Amino acid sequence: MFLPAMAWKNLSRYRKRTIITASAIAFGLATYIFMDGWLKGAEVESERNLVLYETGSSRVLTRDYWAEHERMPLASAIEDPEPVIAALRGAGIPAAPRTLFAGEAVVEEGSMPVRVIAIDTERDEQVFSFRETVTEGRYLEAGEPGALLGAWLAQDLGLAVGDPLTVTTRTRSGFHQTLDLEVVGILNCPNPAINKGTLFMPLDTADALMEMEGAVTEIDLKYRDYRTAEKVNAGLAAGTLAAFPSLTVVSWKDLAADYLAISATKKGGSNVMLLLVFIIAAVGVSNTMLMTIYERIRELGMMRALGMRDRDIRRVFLLEAGGIGLIGSVAGVGLGCIANWAMVRWGIDFSAFMDMSEMDIGYRISAVMHAAWNPPVIVVALVAGVLACVVVAVFPVRRALRLQITDCLRHT
Amino acid sequence: MSGSENGRGTVSVENVVKTYATGESVVHALRGVSVQVAQGDFLSIAGPSGSGKTTLLNLVGCIDAPDSGEITIGGTRVSSMNRDALAMFRRRNLGFVFQTFNLIPVLTAAENVSFALSLLGIGDREIRERTRAILAEVGLAGMENRLPSRLSGGQQQRVAVARALVKEPSIVLADEPTANLDSDTGRAILELMRSMNERHRTTFVFSTHDQMVMDFARRLLRLHDGAIASDERR
Repeated sequence: MFLPAMAWKNLSRYRKRTIITASAIAFGLATYIFMDGWLKGAEVESERNLVLYETGSSRVLTRDYWAEHERMPLASAIEDPEPVIAALRGAGIPAAPRTLFAGEAVVEEGSMPVRVIAIDTERDEQVFSFRETVTEGRYLEAGEPGALLGAWLAQDLGLAVGDPLTVTTRTRSGFHQTLDLEVVGILNCPNPAINKGTLFMPLDTADALMEMEGAVTEIDLKYRDYRTAEKVNAGLAAGTLAAFPSLTVVSWKDLAADYLAISATKKGGSNVMLLLVFIIAAVGVSNTMLMTIYERIRELGMMRALGMRDRDIRRVFLLEAGGIGLIGSVAGVGLGCIANWAMVRWGIDFSAFMDMSEMDIGYRISAVMHAAWNPPVIVVALVAGVLACVVVAVFPVRRALRLQITDCLRHT
Repeated sequence: MSGSENGRGTVSVENVVKTYATGESVVHALRGVSVQVAQGDFLSIAGPSGSGKTTLLNLVGCIDAPDSGEITIGGTRVSSMNRDALAMFRRRNLGFVFQTFNLIPVLTAAENVSFALSLLGIGDREIRERTRAILAEVGLAGMENRLPSRLSGGQQQRVAVARALVKEPSIVLADEPTANLDSDTGRAILELMRSMNERHRTTFVFSTHDQMVMDFARRLLRLHDGAIASDERR
């Protein structure tokens, strides 16, 4: 107990320096936790918005369509979706048929490419959550030539509720087709990809105009927990969907592979940034420990002369460094958690600072960014804060112990 | 019981050589010095600056190693010990009094003294009793809880003497113990050390160029240019 007690006394002895060093660590860790919570929040919200508004938990498609899905080939649609939907519902999985095709929205000032999603107005709500995102006008009704536009797309096209809208496209047979629609509603959902370039219309209306004859390009599924999608899909492929050999089921991760790759890259970059914050704090601590040890060289010589072994002295200094690390880490984690809690609770609304419609940051998040809790990172930060302090103290202690006792005693 | 009652306070220095390299030049601090110190000696090593007195004291104190020659303390050959063994030897057998006191500023007088005992793994109760007793013996009763900053130079050196003696070492080594004290205080410290020497038969070895310390010593060893110039017993 003597060595820890001595280390503790040394901490309180240089109170100002202890506080300054611990503050540097606390600042570094608090920043780390805050930033990580923010990134985690963006990631969690992004995933949630992807699944709720873009991909569903999984999607059933024909194998041919999946092979060329970026081209959106109507010719490879699911010819008879109802037995598939019935089988899926029998397995307790909500399923919604959709048809996806590309078009060109034509307005007086010009035209703009759009992604058209034809939805079954009733069944779509079992998988997706668009009704509550309608900010103007109303939700789609079956059989009508209506269009529901993303808010930013409506803004870009200069359209409002009640305005006519023409969309040019090609039918399943490849013939040019003009869809004369009326804007019945405008939605503003938390997924910017939807807001930016998507137009919704009723599935039955599209079926007739696009010569689909009951075929749909996809059946979207909703699972209780989207994170188990791969596991559920494996079960579906082996069971319920085994009777439909031309079909395949892909998870939201497969559908959002591009986004996930970009997200992983961004995360890597962010981690490098966080690492830099950590390194800067560690360098500060290292410098302080260096000064701490060098200004106590004479005392170190006295302790050695009185019979303290190198390992005892090393232990005292490392305990001291660990003590500073612990104080700083606990304070940093505390501050970081308070800041993160505020970010989880209220978030920050960036809409006042930037036009989100002009800014694509890749993440499927709205202007109000919320943080999320990341307990492993908090634990790692706490442990790493202490360990980093101990590690950076090793070198100056070793250097000081290399000095002869007589040199230490002469040190001024 | 004093640790100096069974011959552990004897020192044998045999033909010790010590050189220091300073840049490109070599300083011959000790040129084959031999000296025998008996149990209970009150020995002062004197000489001008650069004569080798501090070097000899450091070698006897096991905080420096000779280039050649042998040093034996209480029958133990210390010149061939490794660092850890030397640390343990110093811990158990040697006490130090430094010119600049070298007290730990944030520890009280009692804590500075008990520091030496804590290293020996002695129980808290015994540490408290021995600390209180030695501080009373050096005239600091009632000042146990004062920090060094609230003690005069003489009082600080008394704490240093108490720290050196509390573990009942066989030898106390004092490097210029009066150099930072006024003459009255220096005399008081020397009287204290001599009374300790007489009471406990602890061997005291000083290095000094202070005439008063030389006058107090019962044996005066004069060094000149790294060699013994004279060895006078009083």
